[in-house]
Amino acid sequence: MNMRRPQKTCPFCETRVHFIDYKDDRTLGRFITDHGKILPSRLSGVCARHQRQLSTAIKRARYLAIIPYIRGMQA
Amino acid sequence: MTRQYEAVYVFDSTLEDAAINDKLGRFHGLLGNPGDLQVNHWGRRQLAYPIGRRESGYYAVARFTAEATTLPEYERAIKLDDGIVRHLITLYEHELGAPPMSEEELALANRRREMEDDEDEE
Repeated sequence: MNMRRPQKTCPFCETRVHFIDYKDDRTLGRFITDHGKILPSRLSGVCARHQRQLSTAIKRARYLAIIPYIRGMQA
Repeated sequence: MTRQYEAVYVFDSTLEDAAINDKLGRFHGLLGNPGDLQVNHWGRRQLAYPIGRRESGYYAVARFTAEATTLPEYERAIKLDDGIVRHLITLYEHELGAPPMSEEELALANRRREMEDDEDEE
């Protein structure tokens, strides 16, 4: 029995993105969870190279208050 | 060594537009007013989380080529400015095309192409 799931393709490689823009909140928004955590690549299918770029981009965007650090957690 | 940089400024949204432009002019003056300076004003925007009591900020993105030695003074001026809530200076990473060809290379490439065309005809 084949237990391996079909390989997901990296959405950034598919669209030939070489540098992920930290100012693009709509793209970054697709790769964070409802709470604002960075989505693991095993769920999103992003390749290792783009995942590294993505994590830097998300952290930069958080610092500039473009995307939140945490969301949906009412104190 | 000169490099291309990108700077994002988040100004206090209560500042007048004239004051913001004035500050931008002063910062870029410290860099020696780079020739390829591009400033993209996003305008007032809701912050993703409150910073102090501020709920919104005025975003401006600048791209320029500068000498690395001019940066510390420029960044110091930004840090000391009370009107700036957040700022980020990064190396400007963008898609690179092939480097532009010089006149000689262009002529050579054209000649080579013509020669290849001639060969095809024979």
